[in-house]
Amino acid sequence: MIPRQNASNYLWIGVLLFGFASWELVARLRLLPSSNLPAFSSVLEVFLVSIQQPAFLFRIAHSFMNLLCGLVLAFSIALPMAFIAGSKNPFDVTMTPLVMIFGALPDLSFLPLLVLWFGAGDTAAVIMASVAAFFPIYFTVREGTKNIPRELYDVTTIFNSNRVSTFTKMVLPAISPHMFSGLRLAYDFDWEIIIAIEIATKVAGIGNFIEGQVSTGSLTQGFAAILAIALLAVAVDKTFFGTLESWSKKWS
Amino acid sequence: MKKHLELDNVTKYYAEQQKQLHALHQVSFDIDHGEFVSIVGPSGCGKSTLLKIIAGLDSPSSGEVRVRGSPVHGPQSKISMVFQAFGLFPWRTVLENTEYGLEMRNVPKSERRDIARHHLEMVGLGGYEHMYPKQLSGGMKQRVGIARALAVDPEVILMDEAFSAIDEVTADVLREEVTSIHKETGKTFVLVTHNLPEAIELADKVVVLSSRPAKVKKIFQVDLNRPRDRAHELFIHMHRDILHLLKEELENTLLRHKLRGVKELSDIHDMENPGKP
Repeated sequence: MIPRQNASNYLWIGVLLFGFASWELVARLRLLPSSNLPAFSSVLEVFLVSIQQPAFLFRIAHSFMNLLCGLVLAFSIALPMAFIAGSKNPFDVTMTPLVMIFGALPDLSFLPLLVLWFGAGDTAAVIMASVAAFFPIYFTVREGTKNIPRELYDVTTIFNSNRVSTFTKMVLPAISPHMFSGLRLAYDFDWEIIIAIEIATKVAGIGNFIEGQVSTGSLTQGFAAILAIALLAVAVDKTFFGTLESWSKKWS
Repeated sequence: MKKHLELDNVTKYYAEQQKQLHALHQVSFDIDHGEFVSIVGPSGCGKSTLLKIIAGLDSPSSGEVRVRGSPVHGPQSKISMVFQAFGLFPWRTVLENTEYGLEMRNVPKSERRDIARHHLEMVGLGGYEHMYPKQLSGGMKQRVGIARALAVDPEVILMDEAFSAIDEVTADVLREEVTSIHKETGKTFVLVTHNLPEAIELADKVVVLSSRPAKVKKIFQVDLNRPRDRAHELFIHMHRDILHLLKEELENTLLRHKLRGVKELSDIHDMENPGKP
C-alpha cells in the first residue's frame, strides 16, 4: 500500500500520461492535420532513434554548455555583489536601483547589441544567458543576506571566526535556501533565453535544430527535439536542484 | 579573590540619525574570579550594550574593560557568550553547533567531538546530538547555547537575557542547572536580565543601572545560601529595594519626557502665537 500522501505526490505522472494519450488520440482521429500535429507514438519513435545519434546529442550538449557557462558567469558576478548589497546599506541604496532599472528592460532587447559586438555565436549566447540569470540570483541572494540575524554575526565574532570562515561557514549556508531558489529560477529562464538566441542567431544548438526541422516540414523530428530538452531540463531540475532543496529543507 | 574583570569609566555614545545617543556614562565596577554578577536596569538603558562591550563585540567611546588587568580590544578567547535568541546555526546539528567554537580554534575533529559530547551530557542533551535546532524546544536550544559557550573552556561566560525567550518552568530548571554549572566549574558569570528575581537568585552581586545614559545606581551583595529560596525574607527585601530603585528611575525618565513634552508644547504655542506670552 502506498500511503495517500505519497500517492498524491505522483499524481503528476498520471496527468502527464493522460496528456500524451489525448495527444495520440487527437492525431489518430485526425482532428488536426498530421502536418500540424504528428502522433505522439511517432514522435517517441523518432526521439528514441535521435538520442542514439551523436550529432543530435552534440547539439543538445552545445546548448546545455552555453547555458551552464552563462549561469556560472552570472553566479560569480551576482553572488559577491548581492552579498555586499545585502550587508552594506550604502552600497545597496546605490547599486540596487541601478540593477532594478537594468533588470526591468526585456532581456532579449540587448541581443542585437551583443550580436553586433561579439558576432552571432556562442559568446553572445553565453553573455545573454548570464544577463538573464543575473537578476534572480542577485535579488534572492541579497534578500537572503538581509535576513541573516545580527546575532549570528555576533556568534562568529565571539568564537573568533576569521572573515573567510564567517563567509563559508555562516553566510553561505544561511543564504543557501534563497540562493538555491535564485539559481533554479535562473536555470529555467536560461533555457528559454538559449533557445530564443539559437533561433535568432543560428548558433548550432538544439533550438536552431528545432527551427530547421519545423521550417522544412519535419515536425516529428522537431517535437522529438523538444521532448529531449524537456526531459533534460526536468532531469537536472529534479536531481541537482532537488538534492540542494532537500538538504535545506532538512533544517530550515 | 582577585579582580577578574574591571570596568573603568566605560562611556558609550552612538551616532543615530545625526543625533548623538548617550548610552553609558562612566560605568565602573569590578567582577571577581568565579563571581556571578547580574546586571539589571530599566529597559533600553544600555545593559546589553554594556555586555557587548565586555564581550569585545563593541568598543567604548571612552574608558576601558580589563580582563586580568589587560584591556579588551575585540573578542577574547577567555570570554564566551550565551545569546538571548540562542544564536544557533539552523543548518548545523546539535553536536555541530556545540563544537563550532572549537572548530574555529582548529581543534582536530575527533577531539572536538569528544569535548562537545561531554558538554552536551553536562547540560542533559546526550542523545540529541544529531537533531537540528528546529526540532528542539526553546529550553533545549538554550542548553545547546550553554554547551557551546562552555565547550571552548572560557574563563568568563556572558549571558544576554539568556532565559527570557524560554517558558517560565523550563527557565526555572535551567537556572538551577546554571547555578550548579557555576558551582562546579568556578567560572565567572555575567548575566544581563530584566527579571529581578532571576538576577537575585543567581548572582553573588547585582549591579543596578540607571536609565539612559546608564550609570551604576547601586550594587547589592547577595549574601544568601544556595539554593536560594525566593520566599526568604532577605530575598524579598532585596527584591523590594531594587524594584524601588528601578521604579524611581522609571519615574525620573517619565518626568523628563513630560518636561520635554511641556517644553515642546510651549514651543508650538510660541510658534502659533508669536508675540504673545
